[in-house]
Amino acid sequence: MSASDRPLLDVEGLTISYRVGKCWIPAVRDFRLQLGAGEIIGLVGESGCGKSTVALALMHYLASNGRVESGGKLHFAGEDLLAKSNADMRRLWAKRIKFVPQNASAALNPSIKIGKQVMEVLKASDGIEGKAGYDAMIEMFHHVNLVDPERVAERYPHELSGGMQQRVTIAMALISNPELLIMDEPTTGLDVTTEAVILELVRDLIAQRDTGVIYITHNLGVVAQLCQRVLVLYAGEIMEEAEVHDLFEQPHHPYTLGLIRSVPKPGESKHDLRLQSISGNPPSLTRLPGGCVFAERCPLVVDICRSDKPPLESLPGERLVRCHRWEDVTPTLNPSRHLYGGHPIKREGLHPNNTPLPSLRGKGPGDGGPATLMHVTDLQKHFPVAPTVREALRRIKPTPIRAVDGVDLQLRAGQTLGLVGESGSGKTTLARVIIGLQERSGGTLELLGMDVRNSVRERSEDVLSKLQMVFQNPQNSLNPYLSVWQAIVRPLIKLRGLTPAEAEAETLRLLERVNLRAEYAERYPDELSGGEKQRVAIARAFASEPDLIICDEPVSALDVSVQAAVLNLLAQLQEEHDSAYLFISHNLSVVGYLADTIAVMYLGQLFEVGEARELFQPPYHPYTEALVSAIPVADPKQSTERILLSDNLPSAQNLPSGCRFHTRCPRKIGEICETDAPPWREGEAGHLIRCHIPLEELEDSQAGLVLAGGSEGAT
Amino acid sequence: MPSSQISRSLVNLIGTLLRQPQSAVGTILVIFFFLLALFGAQLAPYPNPNDQSHDVRQSPTLDLAKLQLGEHPFGTDRLGRDVYSRVILGASSIFRIAGLGTLVSVVLGSALGLFMGYQGGWVDEILGRVIDATLAIPALLLALVLVGIIRNLEFEAGSWQAGLADNVVLLVIAVLYIPIVARVARSTTLDIKTREFVAAAEIRGESQAYIIFCEILPSVIPSLVVEASLRFSYAIFLVASLGFLGFGARPPSPDWGLMVNENRGGFYQLTPWALEFPALAIALLVIAVNLMSDGIRRAVQKGE
Repeated sequence: MSASDRPLLDVEGLTISYRVGKCWIPAVRDFRLQLGAGEIIGLVGESGCGKSTVALALMHYLASNGRVESGGKLHFAGEDLLAKSNADMRRLWAKRIKFVPQNASAALNPSIKIGKQVMEVLKASDGIEGKAGYDAMIEMFHHVNLVDPERVAERYPHELSGGMQQRVTIAMALISNPELLIMDEPTTGLDVTTEAVILELVRDLIAQRDTGVIYITHNLGVVAQLCQRVLVLYAGEIMEEAEVHDLFEQPHHPYTLGLIRSVPKPGESKHDLRLQSISGNPPSLTRLPGGCVFAERCPLVVDICRSDKPPLESLPGERLVRCHRWEDVTPTLNPSRHLYGGHPIKREGLHPNNTPLPSLRGKGPGDGGPATLMHVTDLQKHFPVAPTVREALRRIKPTPIRAVDGVDLQLRAGQTLGLVGESGSGKTTLARVIIGLQERSGGTLELLGMDVRNSVRERSEDVLSKLQMVFQNPQNSLNPYLSVWQAIVRPLIKLRGLTPAEAEAETLRLLERVNLRAEYAERYPDELSGGEKQRVAIARAFASEPDLIICDEPVSALDVSVQAAVLNLLAQLQEEHDSAYLFISHNLSVVGYLADTIAVMYLGQLFEVGEARELFQPPYHPYTEALVSAIPVADPKQSTERILLSDNLPSAQNLPSGCRFHTRCPRKIGEICETDAPPWREGEAGHLIRCHIPLEELEDSQAGLVLAGGSEGAT
Repeated sequence: MPSSQISRSLVNLIGTLLRQPQSAVGTILVIFFFLLALFGAQLAPYPNPNDQSHDVRQSPTLDLAKLQLGEHPFGTDRLGRDVYSRVILGASSIFRIAGLGTLVSVVLGSALGLFMGYQGGWVDEILGRVIDATLAIPALLLALVLVGIIRNLEFEAGSWQAGLADNVVLLVIAVLYIPIVARVARSTTLDIKTREFVAAAEIRGESQAYIIFCEILPSVIPSLVVEASLRFSYAIFLVASLGFLGFGARPPSPDWGLMVNENRGGFYQLTPWALEFPALAIALLVIAVNLMSDGIRRAVQKGE
């Protein structure tokens, strides 16, 4: 920490209110912050806790229905921002205070070329125009590792990938050499590989400058890897502030502990422990409790927490904590994990944990493990592309988009197959083809030995009831005009043929299984939180007693604390119903927790298949290696050497020859990668890798990257 | 069925309408005209619209300052008919024709649009082109042509009856507005059908009819309500225009458009009130419905 006499940003007692109807609701109360030059402070908390409100208030840029209450102090480089007029602020925004938004594609003007937009910023901040401005811009583009900056400048925003767009907004923010940079979840919408690249970039760029950064995120992994100090915000109040190592080592607030514990670590598995989740929801801002705002959800709550508001105490080591019982938090941390109900699972004959791995190449069952449930061979989904006029005239058939291009999978009863890959790798298309929402272009799909038809409309009710799906977006997966009751009762009557009376009893039982009270049956989706909606969607999927449930990113739209509860629920239901999951996620830790087998997908093909714990140990496929190394681990001590991939995913219409990964592969060995499709190589326990490099060689060179079985290893 | 949810939003909608001054004025006026249409026969002093027993060309006795109606509030026309009674009695026919026409076009149009939008593919393509083609023709022109064709057919069949004229206009409104409503329903359906709850219904093997009417329709209703109110205001205008041009109601029916037509030209000098009051009624009703539909649109957009 560069502790100069005067911090860059000095905030004290800041209260921010929003007008709702005729009342002003204090959304953030008594906020404080001291940011030095060159320091990165992380601001974490669940959604709705006031993170973005703080960001806007610090820039003195609240919407007209928001205001900073008098009595607060907001000093930037010694100047009182609250006293400044809009015109004065505009000068500051142009040059000294910059903002990087979450959604870069919305922040860039779609109708103006990138170069012009960035040069406009430069003109407004430093008055540099013309050739000098262009040169400065190109130099900045080099700094943010944009490939071929001159061509990027000539493009429109939609022609760039999400990662490149975010680099442009970062370049726009840094080009004026600001003193303060506020980043509001800049990597949340990006792939883990791209996120790793952007984080690396932010770290490097800040290290070269004296810019103070406030980094807002809900991802503790990102905080651990990037920030020096962390502020934990809950329901608009600071719960804890600490130096990053101290925070992860010894969180003093139960909320911080809950957040850290609810993220599955690489190598943790459903067989070994349940995740810890924070039950309940943040309190409504209009009806804040009199005592501690976290009391309702706190596992350590005692009477005083409900009656007296805890003060923000200063602790040694420049820490702050707002909790009556912070001294009791520390001892519960290390030896046991019981605080939030997450506990190791004693398994004695509960579930055969050591079943042989289903092999990829159709070895079939019969070796003592559970029966093969689903067998996919050479599955293909090609989307035809409409020919251009020239192609039509020359009678050329344009190459189709090969979203899924020859995938073989085997899934056994009661097991989870995790499917990972970047966006655009064809995971969701594969899921939609299997479930029958899209017709396959080729290949076979067998479920319980029956050949399954192409589309849902041709499938028998028997097949339909055996295959169900949980969708990504809880907002969209329930019909807003149907009650919870109506959503669940329909498949019971339709697919299981229950009478209305039976269905009623069964609905209540299902609600209870997903931990929702019976009164939820009468509610409509807009009366439910995101996590509750997802529980209803899960109950609906389980209603027909399916053998296989396809989960397409079921937790990626949820807050970490809720995410943990939903993952626990999925694991628990799987044990009870012995149903299999095809679990799709871009989040490797989540997949690693829930999956027995993991398949890694890239550009429509599988590149690695293996047992979940094998996958976090060498040998890796070079692509998997990059994915694994890019996981932001919520542990500041564990910093792996990141393998950074370029963010230019080739188009599925114009696939690279030979090995499809060769254009981005850091371990490319030569021409063979460009010309020949790599062979499948089999390692231990049926671990399969599709690469030209022999497994022993891969294992030797990757020895450093072990995420499972380390200090935090699951045993 | 999600009827409770829909009735709940209807109550909300009316509440929102009455809170905004403009839409409140519009809504109250529309309700006022609607009551006239329902109870016109009871409210009119002379319930027979063709009662010619009064003195001809009497000036209006309406006195706004004293709030007195007098013997003939809007005067009498050149045939000695009470204009006040005729305006009141005319409300029912305009509401019936425009209202039923709108209802028919909204019901059929939304069914068509839902089907097209959900089905997609070549069905949508072909029907879409047909709709585009109909929309390219000016509405009034198409209405005139349709009226002409239908009348001709009926005339040749020898079954021409004066009472059929109203139904012809109703039919014309339906034919004109079905494609417009279908387009709105289709575009909303295209959006809704990508939602995951529709995929969830497909995975359950639900029939197409179930998906369209139980899963998609409720979400399309808000935009249909907006479109219906807009169509209604246009329909009123169209009924009045056709009446005025002599293609709608036939004399001696107390149709507002027809009354304007009958009393224009030289008669306007003699009995200006016989033209002005029905014209005022048309204008008021159209403005009122427009204000109301504006309010509905705002309320629905706010709700989303």
